[in-house]
Amino acid sequence: MAGQSAVLEDGSTLSRMDRGLEHLERLLAFLSGLGAFALMFLAVISVGGRTFFNQPLPGYVDWIETAMPLIAILGISYVQRQGGHIRMDIVVGKLKGRALWAAEWITTFGILVLIAALVWGSWAHFQRSFDMGAPLWSRDSTIDLGLPIWPAKLIVPVAFSVMCLRLVLQLWGYGRALVLGLEAPVAVPLVQSAAEQAAAEAEQMQGHEQ
Amino acid sequence: TEWNVSVWGKRRAFTEHIHKLAELVEEKTDGEFTMNISYGGLSNNRENLDGISIGAFEMAQFCAGYHPDKNRAITVLELPFLGVSNLDEEVAVSHAVYEHPAVAEEMAGWNAMLVMTSPMPQYNIVGTGDPRATLDSFDGMRVRATGGLGEAFAAVGAVPTSMTASEVYQAMESGVIDTAAFAQHAHLSFGTINEADWWTANLNPGTVNCPVVANIDAYEALSDAEKEAFDSSVPEAIDHYLANYGELLDRWDSVLEEKGVEKVMISDEELAEFKSVADPIHDQWIEDMGAQGLPARELYDLVNDTLDEQRASN
Amino acid sequence: MSTIEIGLWVTGGLMVMVVLGMRVAFAAGLAGLLGLVWVFWSKRSYDPEMLGWAVGVAVKTAGQVPHSKVSSQALSLIPTFILIGYLAYYAGLTRALFEAAKRWVAWVPGGLAVSTVFATAGFAAVSGASVATAAVFARIGIPEMLKVGYDKRFAAGVVAAGGTLASLIPPSAILVIYAIIVEQDVGKLLLAGFLPGVFSAFVYAALIIGLALTIKGFGPPVTGFTWRQRFAALPPALPIVAVVVIIIFFVYNPFGDAWGTPTEGGAVGAFIVFVMALIHGMRLRELKDALIETAKLSIMIFTIIWGVLIYVRFLGFADLPSAFADWITSLHYSPMLILVCILLAYAVLGMFMDAIGMLLLTLPVVYPAVMALNGGEMVSAADSTFGMSGPMCAVWFGILVVKMAEFCLITPPIGLNCFVVAGVRPDLSVQDVFRGVMPFFIADAVTIALLVSFPAIVLWLPSLA
Ligand code: NA
Ligand code: NA
Repeated sequence: MAGQSAVLEDGSTLSRMDRGLEHLERLLAFLSGLGAFALMFLAVISVGGRTFFNQPLPGYVDWIETAMPLIAILGISYVQRQGGHIRMDIVVGKLKGRALWAAEWITTFGILVLIAALVWGSWAHFQRSFDMGAPLWSRDSTIDLGLPIWPAKLIVPVAFSVMCLRLVLQLWGYGRALVLGLEAPVAVPLVQSAAEQAAAEAEQMQGHEQ
Repeated sequence: TEWNVSVWGKRRAFTEHIHKLAELVEEKTDGEFTMNISYGGLSNNRENLDGISIGAFEMAQFCAGYHPDKNRAITVLELPFLGVSNLDEEVAVSHAVYEHPAVAEEMAGWNAMLVMTSPMPQYNIVGTGDPRATLDSFDGMRVRATGGLGEAFAAVGAVPTSMTASEVYQAMESGVIDTAAFAQHAHLSFGTINEADWWTANLNPGTVNCPVVANIDAYEALSDAEKEAFDSSVPEAIDHYLANYGELLDRWDSVLEEKGVEKVMISDEELAEFKSVADPIHDQWIEDMGAQGLPARELYDLVNDTLDEQRASN
Repeated sequence: MSTIEIGLWVTGGLMVMVVLGMRVAFAAGLAGLLGLVWVFWSKRSYDPEMLGWAVGVAVKTAGQVPHSKVSSQALSLIPTFILIGYLAYYAGLTRALFEAAKRWVAWVPGGLAVSTVFATAGFAAVSGASVATAAVFARIGIPEMLKVGYDKRFAAGVVAAGGTLASLIPPSAILVIYAIIVEQDVGKLLLAGFLPGVFSAFVYAALIIGLALTIKGFGPPVTGFTWRQRFAALPPALPIVAVVVIIIFFVYNPFGDAWGTPTEGGAVGAFIVFVMALIHGMRLRELKDALIETAKLSIMIFTIIWGVLIYVRFLGFADLPSAFADWITSLHYSPMLILVCILLAYAVLGMFMDAIGMLLLTLPVVYPAVMALNGGEMVSAADSTFGMSGPMCAVWFGILVVKMAEFCLITPPIGLNCFVVAGVRPDLSVQDVFRGVMPFFIADAVTIALLVSFPAIVLWLPSLA
């Protein structure tokens, strides 16, 4: 379950950039959710068409496969901002002060190395499917409808680039906390004890209850 | 030298020539040149060409219809009703097309060279319910068929329905589709034959084309002895494949009998009509591919000429 | 150094990164990427000039994985199932279920606790995620139990354990993930989860009744509902039944042709719950929140999926899975003993890991070994070790592993369900919930032992389909 973050805010440049980026990230996450919503309608149309008109949605699978990267990846940076990617906090949960920020900085840096490499790798993946000279710029297509795949492949390096910005901001935030020896730095998801985290999750559930 | 080879699924008739090639090459080079065949561990089946182009592995198998835009030239071999009637003809036609410079050039764009084909028999359909032996009865039929085959069925009023191969059995069982077009070995391995009431013995609407390719740099890096061992083993590997698939086809009739599947023969008039419906698909292909700068007419004629030659020589 | 040794070193490195608190998805992805560099470079004999080449090939190989692995029709079930769960809150389904269960079964000893178990089982039929189920019923079930005098720790334990039913009773995100990793029929697995899920619910209920009969002042039965009141409670809960029936009929229709694929069934189920939520008065703003929450949870899961699959791709190049399978099959112990050891290893691993991450990480190596143990993927029942065909063994092992993973949701020190329940109830500490859930370890151990000894409980339904 996605943990809930406590990201503190103040008037500093870092915090303003954090909130600015969050707007973009939240928009991307909303698009991901909208994709999941659209998936539901797609299936209903497909089943309805087949059952009542003997006319299944042509290329149903092609459309789903094209939509999946949008749903599964586009909002990744928003989840990172909220500290929602799961981890084991047996060790980090025990750390305090500079030791904690050092640990956070190092693991975040590891993530940045990975994601930066994947921006390169996923961009290459996109490029192999893209050809300015071909119809619809397509050098890779889906099985049934022959939809060009490059737009779906392009989502990945785009989402990962935003993620890189987020990681750089977080490195800045942790680095600042490390150097200044801060208690509660802004713009980074703070470690919550598992109990606090669950309380936050539960509170969010209550918000949904009527 | 050790080559990694990327294929998918499980070991089956469709991959026997690759195993034979590996065996022969190792034998001829006294174990100097080995191939490590991986089923799905190295790549997705639809990204084997990408993997070759990156250089992640040295040899791979793929099907043209999985991604027509990656390999436009060889999709000529997947046109419906080309008139290929057995595996020997399929090999002859495929390899003639593979040797065409335009085809080699497109593959070189992926840093790939075509090694051999994986000849597949015609994708006849199995179906549930009453046998469909006429074009009229295809109207409204929900059929799992991809690419050019799907287009041909659509042209006679059938409804091509898409799904992954592993979902086909369940879709058939649940009535989502009435029929499925596969080669015999796939009807066996995906279990569609277990659901079927009938099988079209002579519809022969077309097939898919699935070449084996090697990374050009990796091939160039082989020693002369290794190259010689590799090149000389390809025909033997294909022969082994044909013999093995031949046994499977020999068993096919008894499989039909055992499962109580009716053999449907379609009349010559109906077949001729179906073919005439498919003709515009051929013209369309020539026009589209020609517009993209491929020698489309030449490739198309090459297929027909090779077929004539092959028949004349028998 | 052989590629297998490289595989082991990188796996060790991954463990270290996870323990140090790197987010699991990225730790796996980074380990996989570095492992690929290592394997490719070793193929060029660590020639310093070829390091750049190895990095390039590794990065491009890894860079395919996120797009390629999430673009799957089968995985599209995950966001759909999550969406159903969020929409169900707005549709008022949870409270209606609890009310109906209370009026119908609370007259037995330990009645309200038993009602809670059956209500969670019912909710499990629309929810695909255990943690969400536990959170919801902590709010509805625990106060009612406390009112009639249950021990609060036990009340919390009931809810934490009941929540785990959501991952066995279809729909279930984790069963879908298992099916995808091992390339088995999703529909068969979902079907197979149904009986063990219901079976677990009954084992929980039996345990509660047993405790109620032996412990004085445990929690009284709740009686006095008239038949009219009982029937009056049914209509609000009926939509659940409708959704369940639809999903089941999509997967397997006992009266003829099924209606479609499981993917479609899940989506149509979500659509019905959506319509109910609209009728129940859901606003646009709430819908927007539900969509963002769906996106967050889906993305979290998918990130683990592609991250771990980068690592798995590396394992493929290192040839580790087949080496492990060879090793397991070469052991001179009884296959059943090896299977039990594997399940115990899951219990230990599950103490420290999230269920989905655990499956993704281990299955690519463990699954081929188990299949080999049974005699191969295509073995017939007659020639097999465990007396079931290859595909059936895949289903059986899947249910066992998912049940283990669910068991881990209630075991200390990281039992996510217990944390969630404690979070909903400020008067309960996590230790309280762990104490309260302890009796259910016994119930789960009994269930797992029975599922191992009597595979028919798992395999009967899918064998009909
Ligand atoms: Na469920
Ligand atoms: Na645990």
